[in-house]
Amino acid sequence: MEENRYSSRALTAMKNLNLLIILYISVLAAFCLSGIVQENSAAEFLARIPVLPGVSWRLPLAVLCLYCGFLFLMAMENQTSMDLFLKVCLETGIGFYLSYILGFSYTGIILLILADAMQYFPKAKWRFPLAVLVCMAYLLLNYQILSAYFSIVPFETYLTYFRPNVQGILSGIKNAADSLNTFIFLVYMILLMREQTSEKERIMNLNQQLNQANSELKMANLQLEEYAKTTEKMVETRERNRLAREIHDTLGHALTGIITGLEACTVLMDLAPDAAKAQMAAITEVARQGMTDVRRSVKALRPDMLEKFDLEKALASTIEEMRLATNAQIQYTCTTELNGFNDDEEEIIYRIVQESITNSIRHGKASSIDIWIDRQFNMLKIKIQDNGIGCKDIQKGFGLHHMEERLTMLKGTLSCSGENGFLIEAMIPIRWGTEGEEK
Amino acid sequence: MNGRRKNTILGGGCLICCLAGLLIYGSGGIRSAGGEKTLTVGLFSDSYWEVQNGYAYRMLEEAEKAFQKQYPQVQVEFTSGIMKADYSEWLAEQVLSGKAPDVFIILGEDFNDYARTGVLKDLSSFIEKDDSFDLEAYYSSALSAGQYHQIQYALPYECAPKLMFVNKTILDQEGIEMPDNQWNWEEFYQICKKTTRDTDGNGTIDQFGVVGYTWEEAFESNGVRVFNEEGTECSLTGSGAEEAVNFLERLKGLTGEYIATERDFDLGNVVFQPMLFSEFRAYQSYPLSVKKYSGFEWGCIPMPAGPEGENISTLDTLLLAMNERTAMEEEAWAFMKTMTADPKIQKKIFTYSEGVSVLRQVTEADETLEELMEDAGNTESLNLHILSNAVENAAQAPRFRNAQEAVQEVNRAVEAIMEGSTNISSELIIWNRQINQYLAEQQSL
Repeated sequence: MEENRYSSRALTAMKNLNLLIILYISVLAAFCLSGIVQENSAAEFLARIPVLPGVSWRLPLAVLCLYCGFLFLMAMENQTSMDLFLKVCLETGIGFYLSYILGFSYTGIILLILADAMQYFPKAKWRFPLAVLVCMAYLLLNYQILSAYFSIVPFETYLTYFRPNVQGILSGIKNAADSLNTFIFLVYMILLMREQTSEKERIMNLNQQLNQANSELKMANLQLEEYAKTTEKMVETRERNRLAREIHDTLGHALTGIITGLEACTVLMDLAPDAAKAQMAAITEVARQGMTDVRRSVKALRPDMLEKFDLEKALASTIEEMRLATNAQIQYTCTTELNGFNDDEEEIIYRIVQESITNSIRHGKASSIDIWIDRQFNMLKIKIQDNGIGCKDIQKGFGLHHMEERLTMLKGTLSCSGENGFLIEAMIPIRWGTEGEEK
Repeated sequence: MNGRRKNTILGGGCLICCLAGLLIYGSGGIRSAGGEKTLTVGLFSDSYWEVQNGYAYRMLEEAEKAFQKQYPQVQVEFTSGIMKADYSEWLAEQVLSGKAPDVFIILGEDFNDYARTGVLKDLSSFIEKDDSFDLEAYYSSALSAGQYHQIQYALPYECAPKLMFVNKTILDQEGIEMPDNQWNWEEFYQICKKTTRDTDGNGTIDQFGVVGYTWEEAFESNGVRVFNEEGTECSLTGSGAEEAVNFLERLKGLTGEYIATERDFDLGNVVFQPMLFSEFRAYQSYPLSVKKYSGFEWGCIPMPAGPEGENISTLDTLLLAMNERTAMEEEAWAFMKTMTADPKIQKKIFTYSEGVSVLRQVTEADETLEELMEDAGNTESLNLHILSNAVENAAQAPRFRNAQEAVQEVNRAVEAIMEGSTNISSELIIWNRQINQYLAEQQSL
């Protein structure tokens, strides 16, 4: 940042110096011209020049205007290489004209163009041809070459108005200023190069830091993976322990009771059949209790059917089981494919069907149940209708409530009606693409 | 967005500044044509032929009248009070300050510099476009005085050829016939030889053949052009130059030690003197001069021809040019035409000035002869045919920068050769090299 200020200071110094030099030359030329006219040596002067110069006071004014235009052009920001190319060409044109009306006695203005263009060069596409163009302009812009092609009044001719020793001093001042301009240009270039090198270093530094952070991140990722695996194992172990405990607490307990009761029955059977009967009733109670416990435990786990089969098979299997266990007529119609649902979606579809059948049998005492599953546009529609006693005033129990809650999470809807038997309709939005549109 | 707007503003500023700069510099010296149109004409107050006749503005007033018939809305303004001696400097100052007149008279010595530096307008396009303008009307020699590198930058306005002034009284006394118009060096030499003598017998020669006949006349009439147009080269090495120098030596040998002066001619003691036609006319119309020549009768004939040349001499031409930066091109051209190509105006040259009209038609007209006769009061002294021929065949006087100094150099060379006794042609080669070197030095200044 500090160095950047130095190079732009050098550029500003160059701009000011160039202004001073061209004003010096033009004012001096104008002064000499008016002096020549006043001293009555115009005819002699006219005989010595190859072309008529401009009117004295107009020269500095024109030079000032042109230089202002030149600075405006230089201040323009260029976004693309094309802009830069155009800008440099225009600048060279104005610089050339300025040099021309100053009799090609000062050409340092081309160095100023080069200096200004240099700061854009690292980003520009055509930096090489541009640099060549500007350098060529600088090399060609000298009085000796150009005076062969252009009629110009050289600066020295104006100076002949003065005495020879004054001439020396005046042209010496011009030459010194010219050299100073070249010197500032060199300093500017060195500063610019240093800035650009340090900029590169900074970028390389940042790159290194980025690489380091990247590898650290990779390490962390690996560790995290390891940790996830460990956690998974731990969960597995814990679940296994829980299952074992559960089995032990429920089935173990019940079976133990049953075994003990049955042993007692074996003894009692012959001695006191009534007592044995009572005992058997008690055992039944224990077994039922055990069954309840098992159910409770299993409920806490995922539906095992789904784990074993895909959704379609699971549904079919559940329905078949229910049909066998309850003697109820269950018609199942499915008109769409059920592949492609997420686990949670599959689970809720399964639960809705299972729960509805259970409800129909348990609460509705139904003897016939119809199940339709089909697709309406992007919605999966599940409809379950039974011929049970229905329900005039639906009190949503745990089952229905739970179903509705889970549907809401999937942005689905649930509606039920107890008018004519019991009817449940669930709509679930399909999220898995559109490839399976209506057949 | 912001950057773009900034760029547009900067670009606009740049454009305005550059245009202003170009306008300020480029328009330097263009005269504004606003308001009432005024055509400025630059000229000197006295006579180009260095004769104080007081008629300097009469011609211009006539021209102005004729011009305003065509352009009644245009005012013509003449510069006043500038003497011919100061004119060159005055004009240069006007030009450098960008205040040069639209149309101005230009002296021969300035013409090349002005044409080179682009002060003068190239007239080619006007000449081409203007159907009423005929270049053929001018004497070609006068026209070529206004050319630089084959481009017409100025139109001739008035000219004067060099003629040989003859004292007929001496010829009659000596029983020699007036030479004809195709006479040559040998006849010239023979007449000089016969007439150069001591008439009163006091031991010194008091009657001379010729005065003022220099190497310039000898070279011109022997086909030698000493300098090229640019004044960068000198050519003294040809056989023509050698013959001319030889001839001058022979003429000089006739008089020996004593050298005749112009006063001798005025007193009637010299047969020949080369003279510009303007001088001749000035002498005859000026009361003082009439007295001067009252003692003898005179006439004029062309210059004698050398073995390799013709009866030609130099033509002094006064030129009229247009300012390159004039805002009134059309009017300026019309005025130039009025001044130089209008026979009515050109005819007045014979009335108000001492020169010769640059138009053939005018110079060869019978009226002109009558006018000249009236002036001269001597029918035989002037032959219009001679005048017209002399103008037509004239050579161009050198008029590059420092031409006078270069002529002086040749003068020195010829004098040195004539005084020396060595081989003329080898001397000429040596001097030629020296003068070329001098010219090169002048160029590099």
